[in-house]
Amino acid sequence: MKLSDLKPSALKATYRKLFVVEKSPSEKEKPKDLKKELRDFWYGKPHEERRLGDLYVENTGLYKHREWRGVKDTFYYFHMIWLYNYAHMVTDILKYGEGMQALPAFLKGTMRYRWMGQTYLTVMHWFDRGMEGMRGEALRASAWHYRGMTSETIRQFMRMFISDKKLSGGQEPELWKKNIAHNETVGGSIFYPWRDVLDDVPLEMIPYFVSVHVNNHTVLNYIDAAQSIGLPSDPCPMCQAEYGLFVLDDYPDYAPTMVTSNEACDGSVATSILQDWFLNRPLYAMPQPMRYDDPLVQEHCQKEIEGCWKFIEEQYGIPFDWEQYVKYARSFNKLTEFEWEKWDVAANTEYYPINGVAQALYRIYYSQDGDRPIWHEIDDHVRRIMNKTVKNKIITFPKTRHRAIAWSCAPLYYSNWCTWAYNCWGINCVINMDSLMFDQYLRTDTYEHALEDLAWMNEKAPMRAMAVGGHEHILSLWNYMERFHCDMVIMYDQLQCKGMQGIHGVFEDEFRKRDIHAIWIPHALPDKRTVSRKEIRQIINDYMTTVMREEPLDPTLVDFDDDASW
Amino acid sequence: MKKLWKFLGKVLRVLAIVYAILFAVFYFDLDGKFMYYIWEPMMVKRFDNMKRKDNTDMPYAKKDNVASKEYTQIP
Repeated sequence: MKLSDLKPSALKATYRKLFVVEKSPSEKEKPKDLKKELRDFWYGKPHEERRLGDLYVENTGLYKHREWRGVKDTFYYFHMIWLYNYAHMVTDILKYGEGMQALPAFLKGTMRYRWMGQTYLTVMHWFDRGMEGMRGEALRASAWHYRGMTSETIRQFMRMFISDKKLSGGQEPELWKKNIAHNETVGGSIFYPWRDVLDDVPLEMIPYFVSVHVNNHTVLNYIDAAQSIGLPSDPCPMCQAEYGLFVLDDYPDYAPTMVTSNEACDGSVATSILQDWFLNRPLYAMPQPMRYDDPLVQEHCQKEIEGCWKFIEEQYGIPFDWEQYVKYARSFNKLTEFEWEKWDVAANTEYYPINGVAQALYRIYYSQDGDRPIWHEIDDHVRRIMNKTVKNKIITFPKTRHRAIAWSCAPLYYSNWCTWAYNCWGINCVINMDSLMFDQYLRTDTYEHALEDLAWMNEKAPMRAMAVGGHEHILSLWNYMERFHCDMVIMYDQLQCKGMQGIHGVFEDEFRKRDIHAIWIPHALPDKRTVSRKEIRQIINDYMTTVMREEPLDPTLVDFDDDASW
Repeated sequence: MKKLWKFLGKVLRVLAIVYAILFAVFYFDLDGKFMYYIWEPMMVKRFDNMKRKDNTDMPYAKKDNVASKEYTQIP
């Protein structure tokens, strides 16, 4: 800090920059209306008068002050979201860290790993970005989804930390031998037969995937590290970030084995190869077919899963437990049943209380992760809220002008674009492609049925089912548009996904032929440097003004800087 | 009894002050500002200067099979 920063004029300027919301000239000229001010204080301002963009500290995404949502919703946010989640983060750390070792392990992990120390402590801002402008039941249900993801994230990183050789001076902690590490795109459901005796923890889910949503600064180090050793820069940046973790030695060493996959595309086979190199331990690669609904590949896919099971049996000396598989698969089916209920309400009513970003992230997280108690707890909360909105016919997103479906893979650094799009333009993203994956009920009546369904489920994994799984799946968009009564498509354009780039032109033609309003959003998955959030907003703004000829609901959200924000 | 009421009054006063401070932190996004302007730059500096093992030193060679046979041979 320079001495000049302490001058009264500089302090005043900093204070104004960080805390003072400037009124617009028209607002300044308005005569005082005490009755209206009291009403705004009690109920919150009407949507069109909120001026949410004025609350931002320039370029940072921070708030001069958090939004006043009326007394009821502000204090709900303060008590049940902000305080509740901060408090539960502490209890979750203690709970999942298994007692006294939790706190030292957490502190060591925070100081050792960039993705932890730099990223996850900013988690309440992730809530803020996702919940901006939300009111009533939509605020409550969406926030419960975020709470579930936060808790499961803590469970995973605490399990890593208390089992981590690197945090234990190179010694093997007791739990090290009881963990299975796996690629984040290998579904947790594969490991149900050992869930009570071993813990499966995806290796990149927390260090890479979730971290980008919470704070997108960290991931850039991993992408750059991957390229720094001469690896090409044109593959999917997700794969680059995944192996960048290894180049920077920023992965926890918490398990004696690794199970990998070809993820969604054969480009990412490289990730498996590099992980095999860097990890230097028994590794089972479990490839899934691209054109997965070809009947000829089903047996192969099932054998791959059985191969993985044999690998675990041999490496850990613990036999496959059918009873455990059945227990967890049936429990997971309950989550699937509730997901179908949610889709039904989202598709056919105006009472669906979950916003676009909460729907997308929660669904992809829990279905990839597999059955865990927290998901059932969260679904109970959300079920109560949804029953209330349906029973009382509460219109949860009253400013909806367009019901949108988001298709293809989303920009991880701007997953909350849909919250912005609703607040600014009334675009309500009711469903997205990632939510519709893993759509598979797991039969448990016989081993053969179980294996068949499990194979199908893993073939319908993220980015496979509707991105590289064949054009008939990608083009199922039209069917889902109809089912969810959508009048607009937000078409993600992952610039480094060769699979999706290959079908770009077909979509262009089909959109024209079918006279569908589609907005293409280019992005580079976790890397905000290729297409910034501001550029994404500008594309939507341009479409809404030039093609749709609409006026923004909140003009302060049309143009603002947030390039340096989390 | 009077002492008890006095004590409870004090506890309530302390709780009210703590509550007001927490609400101020929440409302003025002081947690975010602390993270953004103080914590994160400190962490960036720490992680940028951290000595790390060079994993690329590890020789990359064909490894021994971990199992005597292929796991997934379709009969």
